[in-house]
Amino acid sequence: MSTKPPARLGLPDLGVGVGMRIPHYADLLDGPEPARMDWLEIISENFMLPGGLPRYNLGRALSRYQLVQHGVSLSIGATEALDLEYLRKLKALIGETKTPWVSDHLCWTGAHGVNLHDLLPLPYTEEAVKHVAARARQVQDILGVRLLLENVSSYLTYTSSTMTEWEFLTAIADEADVGLLLDCNNIYVSSFNHGFDPRDFVDGVPHARVAQIHLAGHTNYGKYIIDTHSAPVIDPVWQLYRQAIERCGPVSTLIEWDDDIPPFAELCAEAEKARVIRDEVARDRAA
Amino acid sequence: MTAPREPMDAVMAFLEPAFRRVDPLAGDAAIAGEVAAHVTGNSRLTPAEQVDIYRRQYWLRHLDALADDYPGVAHLVGEEAFDVFLRAYLVAYPPRHKSLRDLGCDIVTFGDGYAFADDVQAAAREMLAYEHAFIDLFDGAEPPPLDPQKLTSIPEDAWERARVVIHPLLVHRRVRFPVHRLRLAAKDSDAAPRTEPPALAPANLVLYRDDNLIRFEELDGTAFALLDALARGEALGPACEQVAATLDAAAAEQLGAQVGPWFQQWTARRWIVDVVV
Ligand SMILES: [Fe+2]
Repeated sequence: MSTKPPARLGLPDLGVGVGMRIPHYADLLDGPEPARMDWLEIISENFMLPGGLPRYNLGRALSRYQLVQHGVSLSIGATEALDLEYLRKLKALIGETKTPWVSDHLCWTGAHGVNLHDLLPLPYTEEAVKHVAARARQVQDILGVRLLLENVSSYLTYTSSTMTEWEFLTAIADEADVGLLLDCNNIYVSSFNHGFDPRDFVDGVPHARVAQIHLAGHTNYGKYIIDTHSAPVIDPVWQLYRQAIERCGPVSTLIEWDDDIPPFAELCAEAEKARVIRDEVARDRAA
Repeated sequence: MTAPREPMDAVMAFLEPAFRRVDPLAGDAAIAGEVAAHVTGNSRLTPAEQVDIYRRQYWLRHLDALADDYPGVAHLVGEEAFDVFLRAYLVAYPPRHKSLRDLGCDIVTFGDGYAFADDVQAAAREMLAYEHAFIDLFDGAEPPPLDPQKLTSIPEDAWERARVVIHPLLVHRRVRFPVHRLRLAAKDSDAAPRTEPPALAPANLVLYRDDNLIRFEELDGTAFALLDALARGEALGPACEQVAATLDAAAAEQLGAQVGPWFQQWTARRWIVDVVV
């Protein structure tokens, strides 16, 4: 890129949101007033369906909240052809939700016609950069909205990798001209599993391309950490978040909690912590 | 589209089947060299142990998803036998769809050829098919509702040849075992584990969606036969004649008076979505 892109690639800062999950539907959708939440993230695949309860609830959510679509099945790193039928359905949903961007993971989810339903890391190679960047560009063109790619948590590294994960992410984002969804918990998990300094990751990505941040909890098994989204965000991840906001400016932030889901009030308290950090960084900036 | 991708292909060709292996890679000396060619490992974990993290997650994720969809089968065959069944299914039919919703797309076929314990074999297969029907019913497309004006505009003498269109998601089937009640019992977290094999209790079941919730209803044999004929596309007159032909004289006599109330009831439940003359 010869010219530096604008902050967040010109995408809006939506404030702090949470993932829309079934145990919280009563809190989010049934009360007389919407919950005090800036925005909600939905898993696209859960609503790419013809009818029934999921579609009904989507309609209710859309009447109350700004929704942003986050996907898990794009498999941008797979070597099989892009699934055009999937993209057609995804685009149809984008038309309904008016999501300002759409995100998915920098990963592969299967091969040889098998779908492993996992977010599998790619080898960090020039070959993979070229392959993924070409596909990401194509997907972004088809969908007609900005695509953000998210760094995943990983539990293995490849002998064939020739660069760091943040160099890999940067090279793809620059070459494809896509945005980044920076997951601070995933950075932490991978840094523990692979022994790098997570602060180098946050410093190393192109900050103007970061248009969304994820925060979540994980499970530490001693020899490795798994990204379970089943616990509060830990302090070192909050510190990475602060560092990211300092580098990137205010960025739409989302708390993910998918297992052992707490009462809605507890989730709101996590969101509030993110707001406090954003406000503190903004004050420091102004001073 | 892009440059040759041999190294990426090689990584995926090795890892895709490795991630869904039944047995751990760690400790398998025959494969250690190949794992180490692709995966680095670290000071705490060998390359095989790193791959095994994904392998364990693969099984947990898919077994959990299937257990959510088929609780009645688990209740019938017992948790242990159910786990063995699901693992065998996933080996025979690895996941091919993007959504976990479709994970069980071949499970009824697989179950038809699978040997459950003798005393639950028939009930388990019937339950599998019954529970599988919930998946499409849950999120299938809703057709436009029946237009009441259209009904009133149908001339009296046209009803005979009218085709009554049944909701495309409605499932009707004769079952030999009370799968609908057994499934409810299975979903009740306080339910005691089943101790006796299920007893035969034939029923004519209708499974349908109302106000986005899935409900079942038992019909008597005559009503069920009429619904079945209509769902097959028979016009109302011939459908009634077919049903009447299976009844004794007294019952056939009554049929004419029963059809009206059934029609009203089925319309109210949105089982009937159109009438075409
Ligand atoms: Fe994330």
